Formats: sequence, structure tokens, C-alpha cells
Amino acid sequence: MNRTYYLDLAARGSRFPIGTHLTLHARPDHDSILLDGVRLGEVIAESAREWQCPMAVPLMDLTLEKDALLAILQVPAEGREKYHFADIPDARLMETVETAPFLTPRIEATCAAIRYIAEKHADLLPVGMGIGPFSFTTKLLSDPITPVFMAGTGMTGEDDEDVALLECATNLSLQLILRYLKEQCAAGAKAIILCEPAANLVYFSPNQLAEGSDVYQRLVIEPNLKIKALLDSLGVDLIFHDCGELTDGMVDSFNQLSPVMLSLGCSRTLWKDAALVSKKTVLYGNLPTKKFYSDDAVSPAEVERLSVELLREMKKAEHPFVLGSECDVLSVPGKEEIIKNKVRIMMNCKAD
Amino acid sequence: MAVHEGIFNAIIKGKRKDVGTLVQEQVNAGAKPDELLNESMIPAMREVGERFSRNEVYVPEMLIAARAMAAGLVIIEPLLTAKGIEPKGKVAIGTVKGDLHDIGKNLVVMMLKGAGYEVVDLGVDCPNEKYEEAVKNGAQVLLLSALLTTTMPAMKEVVDYLRSKGLQPKIIIGGAPVTQEYANEIGAQGYGRDANDAVKVVERVLAA
Repeated sequence: MNRTYYLDLAARGSRFPIGTHLTLHARPDHDSILLDGVRLGEVIAESAREWQCPMAVPLMDLTLEKDALLAILQVPAEGREKYHFADIPDARLMETVETAPFLTPRIEATCAAIRYIAEKHADLLPVGMGIGPFSFTTKLLSDPITPVFMAGTGMTGEDDEDVALLECATNLSLQLILRYLKEQCAAGAKAIILCEPAANLVYFSPNQLAEGSDVYQRLVIEPNLKIKALLDSLGVDLIFHDCGELTDGMVDSFNQLSPVMLSLGCSRTLWKDAALVSKKTVLYGNLPTKKFYSDDAVSPAEVERLSVELLREMKKAEHPFVLGSECDVLSVPGKEEIIKNKVRIMMNCKAD
Repeated sequence: MAVHEGIFNAIIKGKRKDVGTLVQEQVNAGAKPDELLNESMIPAMREVGERFSRNEVYVPEMLIAARAMAAGLVIIEPLLTAKGIEPKGKVAIGTVKGDLHDIGKNLVVMMLKGAGYEVVDLGVDCPNEKYEEAVKNGAQVLLLSALLTTTMPAMKEVVDYLRSKGLQPKIIIGGAPVTQEYANEIGAQGYGRDANDAVKVVERVLAA
């Protein structure tokens, strides 16, 4: 655990986007790079240099784990993206999730890229990336919302088969994630960005939580605490990301994970969240980069205004802060320069 | 027939089994299925939608209510068909090519069904040809969903493709990165900011 590193970044007034996708997609052969660890590592390092980010951040591609899990469960490759569990998988196959080979070509390349960064770019912090167990679970079920709601009423897998499937998917997700993160740490990652964008009020009813349900704790926080324990045991830092719409209670609950950084979406007002979040945790974000592609949705002047406002208000809040994007900044074909221009405005605008 | 309070409230509260039981009881007692639908069931879903717009209920409650509504529709729909009562309109919805997200789409499907429309769910990762087929099969409105900025341009491809085929369905777009401006830019007739709004926009474009 090296909180000082992140607190220093904030104290130095650092700003950077999560910009690897932008850099990768400037290359004509971006799809083949995804399968080549060294070239992927070069892109990650180039992105860090381009956007003055001291951390080498992999792509925020949250599909790798599902592909790996379903490979173990012997789901044919061509159907994995759209696959949802109809029933609880075969017990013998599930037992192999902890032990069977799981390194798909994309996962191997990502780990090799981290290794490359650790070996060749000593000035950059090698960072790993992974989906959180709840968000992973939602990708495995055709309708995750209903069983989450039912679980929130106190129902368990013994009461309802959809809740049983939810519990099963959660367990499998966690097992696979732990293995993948261990692999990234072994490759040299010193921090992990754990992404839980689905842990939001689309899936969890604030009404149900306000009535006292512990479903968010059970399905989001507790599995993530197991990941946190793993990272602590390996001396690797947790950067927690959730760009979904959240209640104050959800943000407050992230303190249990004690992340070194907390990255939130643009629906949150970070200087108000500063009162909810431990001062040991650097807040990161949260410009509306998902709409940077459109000058009508977010004009360059608005990007500057929002950036200056964030810097000013976070300074007033006296909370460690790094100005950045609400998520990874995705390259949109035909809109690349519009997006990059706004990222540059964020990087260069003067604080009050 | 007045609003059947039991059915109305059971839908709002998402009591699926109760809705099925109550609707069946009413049908057995001789209630007209179209009156049950139009005076109790659709108003219940409209109320849920309005509460959603006012942030009084959230997606999970809306989904649970829609599932309860569906339990009643299973009983009502064959009776409506037998009586020759047509739905309010036929619409098709799909998540665009390259995008696998379906939560928003599924909510819109449920809200449109709850509003009395025949809805063809084209699924996720839809190629242009799937939309074309839906229009040729009678869909008056196409709804395109995308969650990612990277897949949003596929909406324009659908619009351009259909126009190139000489097809002129009303097109409505929605999803996290999408805006009214983007709808205007690509030549779509409408933009729905959420599932409840999508129903209103469908009603508006069909009336235009």
C-alpha cells in the first residue's frame, strides 16, 4: 500500500484522462495490437506520455473476464459475448473455475503489456484493470435486476431459482476475477483499477436500500472486500471506479474498501462527495467525457468551465483530488479531434 | 368499467402472482379484456412511469411492475386477438450493431408493451438487415438503443441504410451518450431520454 504516491499526485495538481482507448484507436491496426503484449504495452506507455499520466493504465475493457470464464465452462467462443446463464452450470465444470487454464489471448496480452511496462518504463506505475464482481455478474444473467431486487427483499437461492442463479454467478465471477488480478499482479501491476459501473441505482433501488436492505453490502461491497484482501496481501493498491448513478449511501460504502483512489461518474458532485469519502482516498474525475464527442452536448467552453469549477471547489473542500475523466475516454470514429481537443482543454485550462 | 383498484395497485407494487389471479378472476366474471387493459392495466404502468420520472421509484421497481403487467397481458392478449382488437401500433426495438447492452432496451420494451403496443424485440448487436426486416414486417416505429459512444455511430448507419432502401419508418434513438442534437444530426424523428419518455415519444411520432 502506497497512499503517499497518490496523495502526492493530488498535491502536485496532477490531471489526466484515462486515455488509452484514444491512443490505441489512433493506430490503424488497433485490433491486432490487442493480441500483442509488447505492442499493447507500447501503446499504454505512449498514452501515459501523451496525456501526462504517471500511471500506465490498460484499456478499460470489461469483457475479458466473461470470455475467460465461459471458456472454462466450455461455452463456444462465437456465442460468449451474448451468452447468459439459463441454468446453474454443471457442478463439475464450476469446480474447475479455480484451477483450469484461463489465460485467453486477450488476457495474456494484457498481462504481457503490464510486464512490458514494469520492465521497460520504470518511471510509470504499472496498473492492472478488472471488472468488479457485481458488474461481471450482471453480464452473466439475462435479467439481473429482478433477482437483485428479490435478494433485496431477503430471498435467497433456496427461495427462488433466479436468486440462486444470481448467487452462483456472483461466486463464479469472484473466483475468475481473483485469478485474473493475481495474474496481473504477478506481471508487475502495482495498482489495480477495479471497475464496478453496474453497482448503481439502475440495479439497486434506493427505496429498498432506504428501507434497510443490506443487498448492496452483500452483492457489491462484500465480494469487493475479498478482492481488497487479496490486493493487500500482495501489496497492490486498489483504485475503485464506479461511473454509474449512485446514492450518497453507495459512495459512503466504498470507504469500506479503503481505495487509494476513487473514480466516479459525472452524475456525482465531487466536492459534495468529499464530505462522504475518507481524506486518505484521492477523488478522481469526473468530467462528462462520454459526451465529449458532441459540441452540442458539451462545448469546449463548458469543458473549461467544468474543469475550473472542479479544481476550485475541490480545493475549497480540501480533499485530495485529481482532475480527470468520468470513465475511459472512448475514441468515436469521425469525432477523434473533437474529443482530443476537449481533453487538451481539461489538461491545460488555468485554475482560478 | 371503472379502474379495478386491485389490479391497478398490484401492478404498481409488482405483485406478479396477484395480477395474474385478479385478471383471471375478472375475465372469468365477464369483464371485457379491452376495458381491463385500457382502464386498469395501462393506467397502472403509466402511473409507474410517472413516478419513475419524478424519481419516486427506480428502475428495479419499474421492472418488477412491468413483469407483473406481463402476467396480466398473458391472459388478456389472446382474448383481445380473438375479438379482433388491434394494439395501438407496432414498433421494433434493438440495440445497435457492436453493442451488447440491453437493460435500457428491455425497459423500453416493457414500458411500450405496458402502454398497449405490439413490440418486436430485435435483441442486441443488431445488423442493419434486422431493422430492415422489421420495417418490412410492419413496424411503424424503430427504436435504436446504444450505451457506448463507440457504438452510437451505428445509429446513423441504420438510418442511412434504411433510407438507401427506400424505407421511411419513424426512428427514435436512446441510450446514455445519445442526445436530441444527435437525433437531429442523423435524421431520427425522436430521442427518448428514458423508458418512460420513450413511450411518450412513440405516441408523439405516430400522431405526427
